[in-house]
Amino acid sequence: MSEVAAATLGSQRPRVDGFVVGLALAGMLLVGGLVWLETAPFLVALFAVGVVLGVALYHGAFGFTAGWRNLVTTRRGAGMRAQLLLFALASLIMIPLLGSGQPGLVGAVAPIGVSLVVGSFLFGVGMQLGGGCGSGTLFTVGAGNIRMLVTLLFFIIGAVVGSIHLPWWLDLPSMDPVSLIQLAGVPGAIAIQWAGLGLVMLWVNRIERRAHGDIQRGELRLAPAQGGWWRTLLTGRWPFAWAILVLAIGNALTLAIGGAPWGITFAFNLWGAKALQAIGVDMSQFEFWTWDYPAMALADSVLVNITSVMNFGLLLGAMWAAGMANRFNEASRKRPEGRQFLAAIIGGLLLGYGARLGFGCNIGALFSGLASGSLHAWVWFGCAFVGSLIGIRLRPMFRLPN
Amino acid sequence: MQAAYKRYRVIAFLVAVLVLILADHLASPTFAFNMGDGHARTALNQRDASACAPCGAPCPSTRE
Repeated sequence: MSEVAAATLGSQRPRVDGFVVGLALAGMLLVGGLVWLETAPFLVALFAVGVVLGVALYHGAFGFTAGWRNLVTTRRGAGMRAQLLLFALASLIMIPLLGSGQPGLVGAVAPIGVSLVVGSFLFGVGMQLGGGCGSGTLFTVGAGNIRMLVTLLFFIIGAVVGSIHLPWWLDLPSMDPVSLIQLAGVPGAIAIQWAGLGLVMLWVNRIERRAHGDIQRGELRLAPAQGGWWRTLLTGRWPFAWAILVLAIGNALTLAIGGAPWGITFAFNLWGAKALQAIGVDMSQFEFWTWDYPAMALADSVLVNITSVMNFGLLLGAMWAAGMANRFNEASRKRPEGRQFLAAIIGGLLLGYGARLGFGCNIGALFSGLASGSLHAWVWFGCAFVGSLIGIRLRPMFRLPN
Repeated sequence: MQAAYKRYRVIAFLVAVLVLILADHLASPTFAFNMGDGHARTALNQRDASACAPCGAPCPSTRE
């Protein structure tokens, strides 16, 4: 190869940001080591799963928010179809696990009622204003996005307020969780989920075909768009199919190791409540924090809370991935203006409040809910999508591009 | 090309997060237990099988 050709190839190759990569690795060693020394091996394994999920979300650019928005604004459905394929694959893996009767495994099921409808709707509005969902907020913060840091801060505040209000919302009309596994058995539950997801996919395809006359099948591509497989694996951008595979297996591993599917937003509640407790607020005066799980989590270290430990891993995984792609903090190069920060504040509050009322975010309620065969996930999906439509309409008011 | 961030800010942010995690952990029953306090009530397994939602909310049918 000539020197000119080699130099050209070298300039095309993204340089790794050694500082960010090194810092992320040091963070992984420190937090992972602390979890290893102070808690139990299963939490170290879940921390590692969190790291891998963070890498997959960043390198796969797997944003639920953008996928929904693209379907509405550009009428392109590749992102949405990638999400549907992810749900289908995860259902295929996790429903049999949950239906096996293995003791200690609990699915992400939740009651269906006013709280769920209102919460998921608010979450949908918030994700378009805030610029991300639960996982999206977390992995973009890990990648150094300053506006998303504001969203995360207000996400936490909204979640704590939501936790204080949740008991009131639960007293409004609602029904106990409906598990499709109990209703129709394992094959029946998978068949129902696949049929539902198939119908949504037909609807997405119809929208795209009517607008463009064709369908871009980007979500099915296995080979990297440019560069070799190894380089793409380390520096991105991954084809959707890679991210789908890693995220589905990651959620199944979370269930197998931790006993419950992947969730994100409970940790935000916990961090906010711990902050309030640190400044002298007695959280036990609020009913939510007297329930067994929140009370146990509040009383002990964040390092024994699965959701928190996985979130730490996810943040560091996304940071490492952004460093490998040499794009850490790249999104903040153009400083957001006042209105965009206002959108992050309002969006974050709606995300947090909505996630608590709706029993989770796109991960805990939608992804894990569908993969657990829970009916509430479908209600969440529909209401959050309607909320998202309104959020998309509101974005120009805050000078956010659609 | 100029870096999109200041190194000291990234380090300061990560150190602040680590300090918060450590402060929380050092005041926890798990740390007390690890230090030999056998009476400390730790919560290594925080799952509540009777809960009706991942956040620990009770079932509507059991609420008074």
